[in-house]
Amino acid sequence: MNRKYFAVFFKEAIDNLRDRRTLLTVLVFGPLFGPLFYTVMMSTVINRQVADLDQSYALAVQGAENAPGLMDYLRQHNMSIEKAPADPREAVKTGKLDVVLVVPPGYAAAFSAGRPADVQLIFDKSRESAGKNIDRARDSLENYSRAVGALRLLARGVDPRAISPIVVEDADVSTPQSRAVLLLGMMPYFLLFAAILGAFYLAIDSTAGERERGSLEPLLTTAVPRRTLVLGKLSAVTLFSAVSLGIDIAALVWCQHLIPAAKVGISVDFTPSNAVATFLVCLPFCLFIAGLLSVVASFTKSYKEAQTWLSFIMLVPMVPVLGMVMFPMEPAWWMMLLPSMSQDVLVTELIKGEPLNGMFVALSVVSTLIIGGGLASLAVWLYKREQILG
Amino acid sequence: MIEVIDLKKSFGPVQAVRGVSFTAQDGHITGLLGPNGAGKSTTLRIISTVLKPGSGTVKVDGVDVVSDGNAARMGLGVLPHQSGLYPRLTARENIRYYGELNGVSGAALAQRIDELLELLEIGDFADRPAKGFSQGQKIKVALARAMVHGPKNLVLDEPTNGLDVMATRALRALIRKLKDAGHCVLFSSHVMQEVAALCDSIVIIAGGVIVARGTPDGLRKQTGESDLEEAFVKLVGTEAAA
Repeated sequence: MNRKYFAVFFKEAIDNLRDRRTLLTVLVFGPLFGPLFYTVMMSTVINRQVADLDQSYALAVQGAENAPGLMDYLRQHNMSIEKAPADPREAVKTGKLDVVLVVPPGYAAAFSAGRPADVQLIFDKSRESAGKNIDRARDSLENYSRAVGALRLLARGVDPRAISPIVVEDADVSTPQSRAVLLLGMMPYFLLFAAILGAFYLAIDSTAGERERGSLEPLLTTAVPRRTLVLGKLSAVTLFSAVSLGIDIAALVWCQHLIPAAKVGISVDFTPSNAVATFLVCLPFCLFIAGLLSVVASFTKSYKEAQTWLSFIMLVPMVPVLGMVMFPMEPAWWMMLLPSMSQDVLVTELIKGEPLNGMFVALSVVSTLIIGGGLASLAVWLYKREQILG
Repeated sequence: MIEVIDLKKSFGPVQAVRGVSFTAQDGHITGLLGPNGAGKSTTLRIISTVLKPGSGTVKVDGVDVVSDGNAARMGLGVLPHQSGLYPRLTARENIRYYGELNGVSGAALAQRIDELLELLEIGDFADRPAKGFSQGQKIKVALARAMVHGPKNLVLDEPTNGLDVMATRALRALIRKLKDAGHCVLFSSHVMQEVAALCDSIVIIAGGVIVARGTPDGLRKQTGESDLEEAFVKLVGTEAAA
């Protein structure tokens, strides 16, 4: 039985290694797309944010001559003052300017008299990209207002602290590493995606593809128990899935150094030992997905039909992962019973640098293996029916 | 030896085989002849264990195909309707895979493959991927694959389908050689001349039942037709009318 099992296993592996599409999917597209896409995206976002902070920023002002003190203050705070166009509303509406400050002629008189002096900020809230510049202009104005207010109180002999009965002090206890979760939050998704894509073509080829080529019928006339046949095939699918997963993890370890996370005060430290733990935690998922894809592909009549079904089935394990992104929850034991959700939770803990809960790991491994084993038995049963020939 | 006893098989409401019994002897070529849809392929697929009989029994060298499928398959070499080679594997690898699956391995397997490559004249294209093979080349490799574990009984489902004259002649010569070596050869066809040229005994099947059986000469006498094709049409026609 062992020799025949390995014969099936090696044949499926070698046969599919000769298929360029399968090879590219297992070695390149599945495992590398996520990390590369992610690195490029994050690097771009971070670099742009950092660049924006350092950049001096031009503020268009109408009636600057009415408020020389305010203009001096703004210039001291790294802003350059520009003259606004004749029709500031139109300029903002058409997107030429993000924000325009209008100082009316009555400003100086009101300011000197100690009355609230009106200024106007013109902006278009619906434009995402303008948000940062709007906030910056508003913050500067509020700071100026507060500073002048404090001076006025002092001049009247009042302690300016009297108007701040409560001071809120921010104490962020997140470690730089736990903040990395924000950055690497999508990582479990990429890992599971790579594991699924790695299994995808081989699962189809060894079931629906075999039937479509007409090679399944002669195969079933050989003196191999159906169980051995199915287990050999499933093992090959699991191996391909695990290879894709391994490459994906290695790529992520390497890519993290390319993301300039330190610039925004986040430390990404996905150590090699964490990477190994991640691989081991996700390994049962490879068996699970091999079983799931093979069972579904056994029902379908052709390669094309299998592809259609599996493209859809592929999304199912992603539902819990995306659910966790939208509705973040604390890890709980029941999550460990669901394949893909349990791996998602455990990998997230590993990225945070938190110690793993041993009971959770055991639950995750055992439940995923049991469900995967159930799917494998179902595949064996399907192969024992004569309808397997379609 | 292959014994088929009162075999019946339905697919839903369609009764494909309705009580077929015959025996294919060792050292004999037995032809299963019938028009398209007569139940030939279904019968052969039950013998080769990929379908289960609705009722009735099939024994290969005395081994029941249902209760001990694996042992029965050891004694069977099957050439199915489609050759079903793996296009990305070479001829040699295709044959080796089936050898391993049927429990042959190591030096014995390598030697057996070399014998088959020579016997079937596969040498030229033995190490090319099966993807580009002609129909004749495919049949040869599929046949080598069916024979790799040295089974006593060979089941061939329309083996000459799609072959040219030369390839057909070569295949006939090979089948005779197998007969002389003491094999039991059971093959199906819908071509009368083919069966007449090869078979020691003929089983004519139509509408899922056997309408006649015997030697080519016996069938000619039975129908009073000197031409076997006329005899065939007469036999099958009476069944269709009944």
